[in-house]
Amino acid sequence: EDALLPAPQNISILSTNMKHFLTWSPVIVQGETVRYSVEFQGEYEREYANESWIPISECSLMAATECNITDDISATVAYNLRVRANAGTRRSEWGTLTGFFNRITTSLTPPLMKVIADGYHLLVELEDMGPAFQFCVLYWKKGQESRMQQKMVKEVNSVVHLDTMEAGLDYCVKAQAYVEAINRSSSFSQTQCVRAQGGTSLWL
Amino acid sequence: GSCRVSMSITEIRSGFNTIKANIQARDPIRTLSILSYPHSLHKVKSSDRCCVSHQLFTFYMDKVFRHCRTEDSYINRKISSIANSFLSVRRSLQQCQEQNKCVCGQESTEKLKQVLVNYEELNVTAAAMKSLGELDILLDWMEKES
Amino acid sequence: GELYCSLPNPRNVHFESVNMKNVLHWSAPEGTGDGVLYKVKYSVYGVGKWIRKPECRNINRTWCDLSSETSDYEEQYYASVKAFLNGRCSDWVETARFNPLTDTKIDPPVVSVSSTEKSIAIILTAPEKWKRSPAGESVSLLQVYPGLQYNVSVLNKKTKKRWFFSISNNTLLVPWLEPGTAYCVSAQIRVPTPLLHSGFSKEHCISTLKDKTSGETA
Repeated sequence: EDALLPAPQNISILSTNMKHFLTWSPVIVQGETVRYSVEFQGEYEREYANESWIPISECSLMAATECNITDDISATVAYNLRVRANAGTRRSEWGTLTGFFNRITTSLTPPLMKVIADGYHLLVELEDMGPAFQFCVLYWKKGQESRMQQKMVKEVNSVVHLDTMEAGLDYCVKAQAYVEAINRSSSFSQTQCVRAQGGTSLWL
Repeated sequence: GSCRVSMSITEIRSGFNTIKANIQARDPIRTLSILSYPHSLHKVKSSDRCCVSHQLFTFYMDKVFRHCRTEDSYINRKISSIANSFLSVRRSLQQCQEQNKCVCGQESTEKLKQVLVNYEELNVTAAAMKSLGELDILLDWMEKES
Repeated sequence: GELYCSLPNPRNVHFESVNMKNVLHWSAPEGTGDGVLYKVKYSVYGVGKWIRKPECRNINRTWCDLSSETSDYEEQYYASVKAFLNGRCSDWVETARFNPLTDTKIDPPVVSVSSTEKSIAIILTAPEKWKRSPAGESVSLLQVYPGLQYNVSVLNKKTKKRWFFSISNNTLLVPWLEPGTAYCVSAQIRVPTPLLHSGFSKEHCISTLKDKTSGETA
């Protein structure tokens, strides 16, 4: 029987803002194209379905060394992941991710945000980070940090109205992303301040 | 105290919506419902809601998902997503039960018994596929009550 | 027997539902001209029997209003159509399972707007669930979908800037606006779960009253 291919190494997960990618080092075989196949196994499969593995068709016999597993990691449980190399008729053993992956560990970045003063109205424009995301927006009169107000923004519709402002006063805003499915929030964005009409609008 | 389960019904429902037509088309029997016969879930008293939810999630884990493997890998992946989401929700319901916040009355016992009677009327695969096709009945009821 | 039911089947048999007005639609069998007649039956999922719809017996149109028969949105339904032509008939052709709660489309809210010199007041009314007769009891979709919310868009016609508001109650006051300026308002319904969106309503434009001390600017 042909010598086995070496199993893929350095298998790891890159997970940011609920987008999850499995990556590994390429297996080098002189003169041959190596292709890879990826499978996953959730906690359900381990406990109820004889530890079965499920292939990801988009990452079956593909040349890339990265697989977007976001659509399949859609529960907050521990997942196993594995990848195998194929070259011609030969293939490797499975290389398995060390330890489990649970999406609760995804890294959450603060949202890109732009604060706008339009007359006496305080508005914010937020980055669309995907359907899993809501935003907690805090705003306050500059110098009155103790009297912060909060608004939850569930859908990003370009410019969101926060509140009306008193003439000539400065208002500051910061926002964090929140993911209900894992009940976690990002850190806050940089604070941005603007001035209401009735005074010069400055970025402070 | 009451049992609060942080559960993303939206995720489960969106996963189910992508396979609903396919799964329901595999169930040719119009004359029997696993969850709604003879009484709709909407008739369950609110005091029994937590226990009925816990029992139904256990029912789906033990008797439904594992018998729903199809020839279609996309469908199987979506079923896996739903099953794993059910697992994490049932864990929360389990904690509620252990903290006595999920009391099981006579009605919830009756309801589960009826579900199992309906389930046993069909062969396992047909019953499991019908139960999976009725997931929106369960989700509609849970959303309405929450 | 065989010949009797050898007419091609009706096609694309499906429910079209708006605000739970649930109408069965289909297309005529392929290759059949005029003269085809149809009959319709429906069933409640999980209940044993098919029920004929007398008002849709031997009809030549390709729709049948089953709103009355499918008005309990805690149930799910099937409907079926059979075609007849010159002594021949088709098979019964069924819909997919129909769930009024998740499969209906929602109309935009009704928007009414009034203005003062520096503010506009917006009142939103969610559409009503279909009802048997005008005299029948009105049920707002707000009662059907308790989590119903509104997305409101306000466009300043002078600056061309558009703001969005997301509100749960049905009134919105936008103060501190420019006098004598036209604003256009439209609104959309959003149900978080089951996730449903209406389209945005037609824009309602109104001007804030002129500032007593200066002329109109837009």
